[in-house]
Amino acid sequence: MTAASDLAASGSAAPVDSVRTLALNEVGPAERGTRPEEVVIALSPAFGDPFTKTIVDVPHAEVIRQLLAGIEERGGVARVIKVYKTADLAAIAHHGAKLSGSGIAVGVLSRGTTVLHQRDLARLSNLELFPQAPLLDAEVFRMIGSNAAQYAQGQSPKPVPTRNDQMARPRWQAKAALLHLKEFECIDHSREAVEVEPVITKVD
Amino acid sequence: MTAVAPRAEGTGASLTTSKRTEVLEDRPVNLDGFVEEWPEKGLVAMESDFDPQPSVRVEDGRIVELDGRTRDQFDFMDTFIADHAIDVDTCEAAMATESVEIARMIVDPRTSRADVVAVGRGLTPAKILDVVKLMNVVEIMMGIQKTRSRRTPANQAHSTSAKDNPIQVAADAAEGAVRGFAELETTLGVVRYAPLVAIGLQVGGQVGRGGVLTQCALEEATELDLGMRGITAYAETISIYGTESVFVDGDDTPWSKAFLASAYASRGIKMRFTSGTGSEVQMGNAEGRSMLYLEIRCILMAKGAGVQGLQNGSISCIGVPGAVPGGIRAVAAENLVASWMDLECASGNDQSFSHSAMRRTSRLLPQMLPGTDFVCSGYSAVPNKDNMFAGSNLDTDDYDDWNVIQRDMQVDGGLRHVREDVILQVRNKAARAMQALFAELDLPPITDEEIEAATYANSSDDYPDRDVLADLEGARSVMERGITGIDLVRFLERAGFGDVAENYLQVLRQRVSGDLLQTAAVLTGDFTPLAAINDANDYAGPGTGYRLTGERWEELKKLRHVTSAENPEEEVV
Amino acid sequence: MSLVDPPVAALALVIGVDIGNSTTEACIADVGDGEVGRLASSLTRTTGVKGTPDNTTGAVTAVRRALEATGRPAGDLATVLLNEATPVISGLAMETITETIITESTMIGHNPDTPGGDGLGVGMTVSLDDLTTVEEEVPVVVVVGAGADFDDVAHALNTAGERGVDVVAAVLHGDDAVLVVNRLTRRIPVVDEVSAVDRVPLGMLAAVEVAAPGRTIRTLSDSYGLASTFDLDAEQTRQVSPVARALSGNRSAVVVRTPAGDVTDRRIPVGTLTLSGAGRSLDVGVDEGADAIMEAIGRVAPLDDVHGEAGTHVGGMLAKVRDTMTDVTGQPASEIRIRDVLAVDTLVPAVVRGGLAGEVSRENAVALAAMVRTSRSRMQAVADALSDELGCETIIGGVEGEVAVRGALTTPGTSVPIAIIDMGGGSTDAALLDRDGTVSAVHVAGAGELVTKLIDSELGLEDRDAAESVKRHPLAKVESFFHIRHEDGTVQFFSDPLPPHVFAKVVTVTPEGLAAVPVRGPLEEVRRVRREAKRRVFVVNALRALAQVAPQGSLRLLGSVVLLGGSALDFEIPGMVADALAPYGVVCGIGNVHGTEGPRNAVAAGLVDAHAGMVAGPAPEKLQRRAAAS
Repeated sequence: MTAASDLAASGSAAPVDSVRTLALNEVGPAERGTRPEEVVIALSPAFGDPFTKTIVDVPHAEVIRQLLAGIEERGGVARVIKVYKTADLAAIAHHGAKLSGSGIAVGVLSRGTTVLHQRDLARLSNLELFPQAPLLDAEVFRMIGSNAAQYAQGQSPKPVPTRNDQMARPRWQAKAALLHLKEFECIDHSREAVEVEPVITKVD
Repeated sequence: MTAVAPRAEGTGASLTTSKRTEVLEDRPVNLDGFVEEWPEKGLVAMESDFDPQPSVRVEDGRIVELDGRTRDQFDFMDTFIADHAIDVDTCEAAMATESVEIARMIVDPRTSRADVVAVGRGLTPAKILDVVKLMNVVEIMMGIQKTRSRRTPANQAHSTSAKDNPIQVAADAAEGAVRGFAELETTLGVVRYAPLVAIGLQVGGQVGRGGVLTQCALEEATELDLGMRGITAYAETISIYGTESVFVDGDDTPWSKAFLASAYASRGIKMRFTSGTGSEVQMGNAEGRSMLYLEIRCILMAKGAGVQGLQNGSISCIGVPGAVPGGIRAVAAENLVASWMDLECASGNDQSFSHSAMRRTSRLLPQMLPGTDFVCSGYSAVPNKDNMFAGSNLDTDDYDDWNVIQRDMQVDGGLRHVREDVILQVRNKAARAMQALFAELDLPPITDEEIEAATYANSSDDYPDRDVLADLEGARSVMERGITGIDLVRFLERAGFGDVAENYLQVLRQRVSGDLLQTAAVLTGDFTPLAAINDANDYAGPGTGYRLTGERWEELKKLRHVTSAENPEEEVV
Repeated sequence: MSLVDPPVAALALVIGVDIGNSTTEACIADVGDGEVGRLASSLTRTTGVKGTPDNTTGAVTAVRRALEATGRPAGDLATVLLNEATPVISGLAMETITETIITESTMIGHNPDTPGGDGLGVGMTVSLDDLTTVEEEVPVVVVVGAGADFDDVAHALNTAGERGVDVVAAVLHGDDAVLVVNRLTRRIPVVDEVSAVDRVPLGMLAAVEVAAPGRTIRTLSDSYGLASTFDLDAEQTRQVSPVARALSGNRSAVVVRTPAGDVTDRRIPVGTLTLSGAGRSLDVGVDEGADAIMEAIGRVAPLDDVHGEAGTHVGGMLAKVRDTMTDVTGQPASEIRIRDVLAVDTLVPAVVRGGLAGEVSRENAVALAAMVRTSRSRMQAVADALSDELGCETIIGGVEGEVAVRGALTTPGTSVPIAIIDMGGGSTDAALLDRDGTVSAVHVAGAGELVTKLIDSELGLEDRDAAESVKRHPLAKVESFFHIRHEDGTVQFFSDPLPPHVFAKVVTVTPEGLAAVPVRGPLEEVRRVRREAKRRVFVVNALRALAQVAPQGSLRLLGSVVLLGGSALDFEIPGMVADALAPYGVVCGIGNVHGTEGPRNAVAAGLVDAHAGMVAGPAPEKLQRRAAAS
């Protein structure tokens, strides 16, 4: 079984029967980490609040939970920061990478678009980019977390298989633009990035 | 995959859905995305209260106010347009003309194209928007019919390969050329393959029909290099945008794009810019303007830069105008404005647009029925899964449908039905020419098995895999050895493909004559340049302009299956 | 100055063309009065199989290139000299000859990257769903299927524990072991990523063992450990010992005790080779391995012909080699003899039959290279076509081996007796020029293609291009965006960041930049495989071929050995061959034809020199040529 078909098969069984909610409790200003295996998850201004799910309705709680799980399974540690000054994914992720003890960060936009970044890379470059938000589900977020932890440990993981769908454009392009605009609305140029503690609550 | 899965609410009958609703829910059109307008942010097609009001003021032979902004408030788009795109001498008079009067001039067959173009020279972006806002989609089509630069409509194709296989690109280019495309465009998955794929496109094109023009869409430096070497014949993918912020994001300005354009012109290479509605709002930098207003700014910028043409019609952002009310009308309007501004217009229809076949067709008609310089700026001459431009509105599966629509409506969409034996012959010859050329160039050999595959193939799946590493090494050596179009001509001649070499040489000679720098220039099968200067659109109402008659109409009456009138037991061959 | 210049011998523009298996080389020179003024050389890909009319195109290209380089018109060309090239066809086949089979899903022996917990847990297998109904105090191993969420699994295990169920271990479908263990109130060993977890038999006694990071399991990989775990008698212990062996070296494992569970190592019959030579015929099973095959070949030396069993890969490969030669020369298949075979033992990763987690074991395989050569050359047709094309005379002269030796002898520092080795893609060629002027030459099977294949299969790349790159280029490890560590330990820094796709990867250092090697293992492993593959083919063949031409078969009697051709340009092969020859007191090095051309152009230059010698009359050392029957 190829990795891609594996995903397709198990994707339907994604655990969403009970709802989880996400609260991002502010801990303090986002500062540079020191642990060499640390991964920073850098979130966009509207992530978690006011938005609660990605363009294809993956709850933000699940996005964070799976990213953290992927990192934990690989023995890594994570810190979560929220960026307010920009909604540009590359800038968010690169900012996170600069604060990361390992130099590795995962940047996530509210609509789900995700990138794996490293602090020595140019801002517009990346380790792995997942530009088609409509194709990212819980399984993919888990694998992204897992790869982030492995990069942080100096390993070379197999890149997460990227999917492509030519018909994503007619279905999602405009909604993506709309979500992008909404995210822009939440930019606060005067607010510095903060470290947050993600609290995920299960609601039955 | 997520994007094609049926919507959750559409599955399963319940007390609140009828069986009919279930049927409707399952229709492909409901896989398309639709959104509400948000004019404050520019998520609106062409009718927005946030677009500026038209105005112009000239002092000392210089435009000092443009659409409500004075020169000190200009962004660099305003400056470029005011200084290079608008005719200072006529603009105050033109702007004083009622918009409705100008709109009527466009539609009225008694007003000549020259008069319409003349008044257009003095208009600001907001005024142009004000004019086209008055026009419904049929009137827009009337306008396109009259303002198109070249009298004879044409079409352009994408010829790419999911495996970047140069033999596939050559064979599909040959078939595309013989089916009638005047221009062929390719691009790559693995960029380093570019020289070989561009050579495949050029050689295949010249096998199919001498005089076909080719281009390879790449990052700008490599694209220019291939053009200067004569491996490609024109360039198109030089993107421009309607707001300063998007330009700056791409480290560009109108002047840098104009400089690039002049680099092409200096070598006699045809080139056009690319723009389209939706790109700015897609990037979140619409500055509160409607999509069409921003696109009109792009059109004027292209005009100001002195390029002969523009590819527009939303292009890769088609999902955005496609999702808002009146969006496809706006897309037709941007094609109209490009034509009206006296530019060659390659009019979109080149990206996967809808899950619905009906909607794909309706999106196409505003360009196909009146005819544009290139109805599609990329009809996929390969199956869409091989299309490295991320899929087109039409692909090889649609060839017969297209031919039937041409025949039904008696319109010339640039294609024709071609007999199977002819297609097989040109595909085979293109592959053999590549085999010989690769041998001459010391490139990894092309086997007879590959030629056989190319002759009969549909998609990249039907070809044996190539030694990619060796090919990439070969591609590098082509660039390092400084191989040019003239070398390729010489090798083709030496390898016994004298006719292909001759065709290619004729295309290269256009560099020197500069004929392809004329607006909307293409080459006919006998290498006559056909452009706005010698094939000017003379539409002036019924009975005038380009009419599908005579030999060409007889050609387009042919289809794959037509029952013979003489002997109804047989089909016309 | 006299009024009249002394008569000067007319200079003639002459070009030597060497058509090789993969490249066609040309050397152009002005020749007159025994003097040779070399002007230029050129190199192009050989078109078609060497020694066939298809070569004409490549030969013409090489001539044109050389002419272009001199700037002289084609009309100036007096003579084209062609070597007497004979077709060589080679073939490759690989057969896996062992197989590991697990019956009744007895064991899970894969190594997930991240198992959870550590220690050993022994209990009855029970599904997650049935956990709520399990009796208290009974030790259980929980089997968790696809789609289960790690939070839910941990919660269920904790709840069962609170109820008094003795949960001792778990086996999971997903990559969740660490996550689950981190959430348990009682730490247990957990093995995850078991893709066919639904086939784990339920209600059976099972043992799960996980070792701490960096360690390997101790109990389940030991026969008496298994005996203690499952309370086995001596006979039962004997039966399960293959399980223990199969698990040794793993960090985690699961063993389920089932009535007929077993792990077997089976030898796969893959047909026989029939070797004939020295007046007799010998059958050897391919599954007996490379040593047995090579020993059998030695017993029938000199080899006359080889046949493979019909319907087997090896039989098919040999038949194809024969067919291709028939197509090329028109000789009937019955007249074509396979004169050499090289067999090499190798290990290939193979998925274990009956495995539950996609376990891969390294199975034994034999790679075979075969070569056939014919004396039926069609060079006259090439010569005629060349004359037509270029409008000048074409002379065929010199058997490859002889001319090459002569060219090699122009390498500074060499002397007679001199031997050459040219390692190509399909075959390895050697020739010797003896003190008495005798030249003998051999071709043996196996060269670059076989090395690529060994690298590809042993590293499990399934990517010929990547294997080729590993073969040709040195390795490095990308340690950061700004520095790499080369395989020799030196560190190289970059001022611009390296491309992201090579980050943290093992890469090949190619002229076009760094290329990632798609392996997860360390650089040292890739390097070992590469060097071992080269040693087993290039070094073995160099010695084998030289032994066949050496006086009395003794390598010690060789004087100089010169490496020619593309493989002489490899970054490590010359060194490896030289090291192997050093114990025999042989001077071995890379050819440098005429002191300028490097290992290229020996034949082309040799043809021109020979021609010049003929023009000028008897050469100082008149050579008696004899084509050695190989």
